[in-house]
Parts: sequence; structure tokens; C-alpha cells
Amino acid sequence: MRTGVYLCSCGTNISERIDFHRLTEELLERAGVAYVKPAGFLCAEDGKQFLETDLGEERPERVVIAACSPREYERAFMEVLERAGMNPYFLQMANIREQVAWVTPDVEQATGKACAQIRGAAARVRLHEPLFKTELEAVRDVVVIGAGPAGLKCALALAEAGRKVVLVEKSPVLGGLPVRFEDLFPSMECGPCMLEPVLGEVLHGPHSANIEILTMAEVCGIKGYYGNFQVTVRRTPRFVDTEQCIGCGECIPPCPVAVPNEFNCGLDTRRAIALPFPGALPNAPFLDAQACLRSQAEECTLCRDACPVEGVVRYDERARTVERPAGAIVVAAGFGLYDCRGIPELGYGTVPGVRTSLEFERMLASNGPTGGKLQRPDGAAPASVAIVHCVGSLDQRHRPYCSGICCDYAFKFNHLIEKKLPGTKVHHFYKELVMPGKEEFALYEHARRNPHAAFVRYAAGGLRVSGSEGGAVVEYEDSGGRRGSVTADLVVLCPAVTGAEDGGGLSRILGAPRDRFGFFEELHGRMDSAQSRIKGIYLAGACQAPMDIQRAVSQGMSAAGYILSGLADGRKLEIEPITASVDEARCSGCRTCGSVCPYQAIGYAPEGRRASVNSLLCHGCGTCAAACPSGAIRGNHFTNEQILAEIEAVLA
Amino acid sequence: MIPPANFEPKIVGFLCNWCSYAGADKAGAAQLSYPPNIRIVRVMCSGRVDPQFVLEAYRGGADGVLILACHAGDCHYQEGNYRATQRHRMLVELLGQFGIAEARCRFDYVSAGEGEKFVQVVTETVEAVRALGPLIWPAAPTLPAPLAPLTRPAAHAPAGD
Repeated sequence: MRTGVYLCSCGTNISERIDFHRLTEELLERAGVAYVKPAGFLCAEDGKQFLETDLGEERPERVVIAACSPREYERAFMEVLERAGMNPYFLQMANIREQVAWVTPDVEQATGKACAQIRGAAARVRLHEPLFKTELEAVRDVVVIGAGPAGLKCALALAEAGRKVVLVEKSPVLGGLPVRFEDLFPSMECGPCMLEPVLGEVLHGPHSANIEILTMAEVCGIKGYYGNFQVTVRRTPRFVDTEQCIGCGECIPPCPVAVPNEFNCGLDTRRAIALPFPGALPNAPFLDAQACLRSQAEECTLCRDACPVEGVVRYDERARTVERPAGAIVVAAGFGLYDCRGIPELGYGTVPGVRTSLEFERMLASNGPTGGKLQRPDGAAPASVAIVHCVGSLDQRHRPYCSGICCDYAFKFNHLIEKKLPGTKVHHFYKELVMPGKEEFALYEHARRNPHAAFVRYAAGGLRVSGSEGGAVVEYEDSGGRRGSVTADLVVLCPAVTGAEDGGGLSRILGAPRDRFGFFEELHGRMDSAQSRIKGIYLAGACQAPMDIQRAVSQGMSAAGYILSGLADGRKLEIEPITASVDEARCSGCRTCGSVCPYQAIGYAPEGRRASVNSLLCHGCGTCAAACPSGAIRGNHFTNEQILAEIEAVLA
Repeated sequence: MIPPANFEPKIVGFLCNWCSYAGADKAGAAQLSYPPNIRIVRVMCSGRVDPQFVLEAYRGGADGVLILACHAGDCHYQEGNYRATQRHRMLVELLGQFGIAEARCRFDYVSAGEGEKFVQVVTETVEAVRALGPLIWPAAPTLPAPLAPLTRPAAHAPAGD
């Protein structure tokens, strides 16, 4: 096989440390190559021109370029090969600049090492096979799971770019958690007001026709892969036609049923037919089939009778599944809060007046269970409130991480308590104070200036909340070992942010793994936090990590960006050829490969008991090839034969 | 064994493309010099390093092998470096049984920014292997005469394979 070697002098960077004359002689003698040619700057335009012309004249079957690191110009040289009519993978570079000339002062030693590295490259390149990028038609539509701020912004951005988006929301209402918050840190903007413009665009904007909103819906299955998913969505019946409903609410008062209202954390009750809260969008009630008397075989039609529009309340609606094609899926499933019952010494569920921060948010909200009034369990106004930061956070027995948002909203609470009930004593119990950002310090400063606010830094395990006649008692041991106690009419626990409540099920359905804390696992913590480990499945918002709204929305936009560039209009999906492939004849079906693949790119056909690699999902790491006990997996461009030939030749 | 005075060990280094190979490039860009005894074989991921490659390197004349990977948590392919450490641990056990010293098969982590660490690891490995001397495969051992088969109590069925 005719192999040509090009030695780049890199000006004098390489040639002054390596004896090209001797190197050429050695290579011609011992490396079995057809020719060795020096060149000036191969990476420069005239260098590449020389290479292209020379390849045309010499017609080698394989090419070795001994120059700088392949990490620098391998791509550029592959393009030259392609222009010269060769398969670009018929190239192997030998790194004789960074890894020889620049690190070996002795010319003789450098020349010897360069010779070995080039011999290795020449031995390997002979075994290179032609590889080709493949192209695939891709669906450009997107399924977005979760209609919180991250999912909404993502869906809107995609719709504005002309993409069809299916927005799947499991609850009857859009807006996620922040839409239920009266005010948001750091600027005390009201939650519904912040979301209003986005929701307006999603529901009625010029691109809203591109967004199909499925509320009370959950993804229950996916098939296929990046570019060609088929997503199955199960829709729970709402029994109210959101298209025709005028949102008057006439159907609600006649309903004779009262059940705990989950939208207010069970702090009040709602009817079986209800709006989650006043102002909820879409502006249409939903009928809770389990609570409805009709589920107990009673022939109640009070809500339908009260409805002024014919045919809006439909008792005959049934659960159904719909299928939607999608090129990509965005998981914006939101977060949960650490279950405070897991820390019994804090009294949640046993001591009256102990609330979670989410319950307290609803108490603060004018559309919440108390109409925005702060209340003790007996209905009176509290004279003192204890806010416990870091509940279940920074604690190896619970969650070791800091959720990063609790201090911010705890000082928001401080501000709102002082505004609603001036003079109320507020005790902040914290392990650490964390509020990065350019505006977030303001609420903290405000709290520090509040003469009725006190701060106690407590040690992990150093808090106990118990009940007494006069309210709750918080006993503490501070970080200096001093003990004390305060009474509080309300105790607000700020629990660690955890992964989405039904994240486990969703993770299994999507095949996108979660990390050890239950958050969806990102492809890379810094560079690709909006990509899951599975190609074509993207992550947005606090289902990936604890984060504030700003970060969640940025991540939603970032997911949209990945999709618009990865599934660009007018372009097919390109599949890189450096992937693994299975030699079916040698595969014993042991499935070792599947267990080591980080991308779930290896499938298994039980009928044939054979593994197969989905080249679209494969990233080409080769871990499966090394793991296969039968030698049945090839790592393209890094085959056993190629690597073994290189090893043998560098040692020769 | 006392190594010959002019002994220059041959080391094969398997470097992952994203961290360690880039770390070696970094050493080059900083013009840090290190012993020329290493022959670098680039793989996309340390998880690609089949133990067979290491054994073939010894057979081909290497006196030592280096496997360099991304730091824990930094693997470009998520967890290939963990696979590589697992395989390395098993391999070292096996090599020990062949009388090949652990120092001849070193695993370490070198990030893309750690040019100096790369130089240090290569230098240490070359020196350690130099001190051990050339790798001489042990001669095939003379096996003792096979023992007479044990008679088992009838109740004990011979175990399967």
C-alpha cells in the first residue's frame, strides 16, 4: 500500500529540533513508506495547496502528516484529502511538535522519538478504512415537558422560529410554581405579572398556532431517537372544553363537593370542578373525576346545568393517548422540595404552625387560601415568625448541597412579613447565607436593617421545634455552641430543592438518567448543562439542578438554541462515522457492552440475542469495544487492529 | 536485578484525546522537557484501553505502560475513566501474577491544563521503570508433576465448570 509522509517543519519549530535528513532516511528504510517530503508551513494556504497538488500527483493510498497536534489541524488536513479526491479518514497525523520537538532538547533523541511516532502512524494508517458521514431526515417538531417558566420560554422561542411545539403539562394550569407566588426575589415582581406576557404569547400570540398545549397530560412512552422520536402522551380528561369555555366560573359554586386544594398545599378546600386559583391559565376549570359525585354513580349535573355555554362541560370525555412525532424532547419538569417529615425534630406535621416555604408562599398570595393574610393556626395574626433556612440542605444525612435559592426567598419573606404586619419579630435560623447575583443582596440588606429581625447561625442538627401553649418553641444550638430558644407563632421551613417529584418515572420512560440526587443528569456540568446524556433530549430548569428563575429561563432558551442549531432548517442530521459497530457473527449476546455505554446507544435484540449500536446515539468513546469479551465490537477509526499495529510499530 | 548502565526504558503511553493528550500538548506548548522514552498512542477515551493493548505493548518490547485519563468527574464521555481505573486495577493484579511489577503499569489522571503534571508523571514513570530494569518475561515455569486425583466422598458430586 502506497503511503506518503509529509514532514512539516513548522517554520523552524520542528526542523531545528529534529534532523529531517536522518528521519527521512530512517523512515524510507524502516517504515515501509513510499515517499517522505518536507514542507514549510503545511497549515498555511500555500502549504495546503502544495499538499493538495502533491497528493494529486503522487496518488498515495494513505497519508501521514507529521506536524503539530492533530487537535490543531487534523480537520483542515482531512479537508485537503477530500479535495484531492481521497477519503478524509485515510490520514493519520504524528504529533512531532508538541509531543516531540518542543519537549526534547536533544536532536538525536528527538529524531528517534519522531521516527517512532511516525512509524506508528504509518503502520496504523495502512489499516484505515474509508469512513463516511451519513445523513438522516429529521423531524423538526419538539415536545416540551413542563409548562413552568423554563418550558414556556423554550416552547415560545421554538414556535417563534416556526417550529411546531407540543407543550405537555401534567397539571391543569400553565406557569409552573412561580405563577403561584405573589412576589418574586430579587425585585419583588409579582409572579403572575412576570409570566403574563409569556403566557399571553403562548396562548394568543402571533406564533401560538405553532404551540399545541396539552394540560393534564403526561408523557407515557417514547420510541425512536434523536431526529425521529415518537412521543406518546396520556391525557387525563378535563371534562371542560378549554376552547369553548368563557371562564365565567358559574359552574363552580353549585358543586356540592369539597376536597383539599392541592394548589394551596391543602390549606383550604376546592370544589370537584375548580379553577386551581383565580387567574389560572388556561382560563377554564377542570373537573376532578375522583372527587366528583358522578364517580360514586350519583347522577349529579349541577355544574353542567350552571354553565351558560352549551357543550362545554362534557361528562363523556375519556382518558386517551395521543402520539406526536418529535425530533427533540425538552424536559422542563420542575423540582420538588425535600420532605420535611424526614426531619422529625423540626416538627412539620406534628407541631401546629410549622409550614413549608411553599405553604407560606400560598399564605402570602392574595389569590391563596387566606387571601394574603398571615395567620396562626387559630386564625390570629402572628407576633413572631421563625424562618429556618437550610432545611435538609448542607447535611450529609439529607442533602449535602446548597439549593442556592432559599436565602433569597427567606429574605423576601422577611420583607413581606414586615410589610404586611409591621413589628412582627422574625428569626432567621441559617447554616450558611448564600445569595450570589447582582441584585440579590438588596433583600438581605433590608432584612439586616429590619429592627425586628434576628439572625442565628445554627449547627447541623442543632435545631428542635416543639409545640407549646403559646406557639411553637425553637430550641437551638448556635455555631458557637451557645444554646437558646425562641417562641414563634409560625415556623417556616425552607427545604432543600430536590428533583422533580415524578422524575424517576419520567427518567425511565425517556431513558435519560438522573444523578445521585434525583436531578436529570446533564451532559456536561459547565459546557452542556441543558443537554441530557441522551442525544436529542434536552434539560431546562430545576429538573437539572436547583436554580432560580433566571437560570431556568436561560436554560430553556439554551435548549431551544441546541435544537435550532442541531435540527437546523434545510439540513439533514449528520452522523459522524467514528462510532462503534457490532460484528453480529461474533456477538454472544452477553450485553456487557450495553452496561458500560454511558449513552444507552447499544440496543439488544432478544430474538437474535445480538447487540446493536445506534450510531446516532453513539459518541464514539470505544468503551464498549474495550469491554466486549468476544471482540465483537469495532470502534471505527480506533479498531483493535489499528491500535495494535500502532503499538507494535512505535516500539519497533 | 541491577539494570544495565545504559538502559533506556521504553514506555507506551495511552492518552485520552480530551484531557491527557491535550495535557501533553500543553507541556509542549510550554516547552517543558521530559525524557524521550515515551511513545504516545492516542485513544478517544481511556475507556477504550483494552487490557490486551497493555499486554501487547509488553510483548512488543515496552518496559512500562502509562494509562492517562481525565480526572474523576471530567470524562468527556462521562465515565470511561472509571472503567479504565477498574480495568487497570484488575490488570495490575494479573500482571503481579506474571511477576510484572505494578510500577510498570501506571494509571494516572492528567487534565488538559496539567502540562506540568504530565511531565512529572512521565518522568517518574521513566525513572521507576529504569530502576526496575528491562522487562524480561519470566521463563515458562517447570510445572510439578500432576498430583494424583483426589478421591471425593460419593455424596459430593464434582462441581461443574
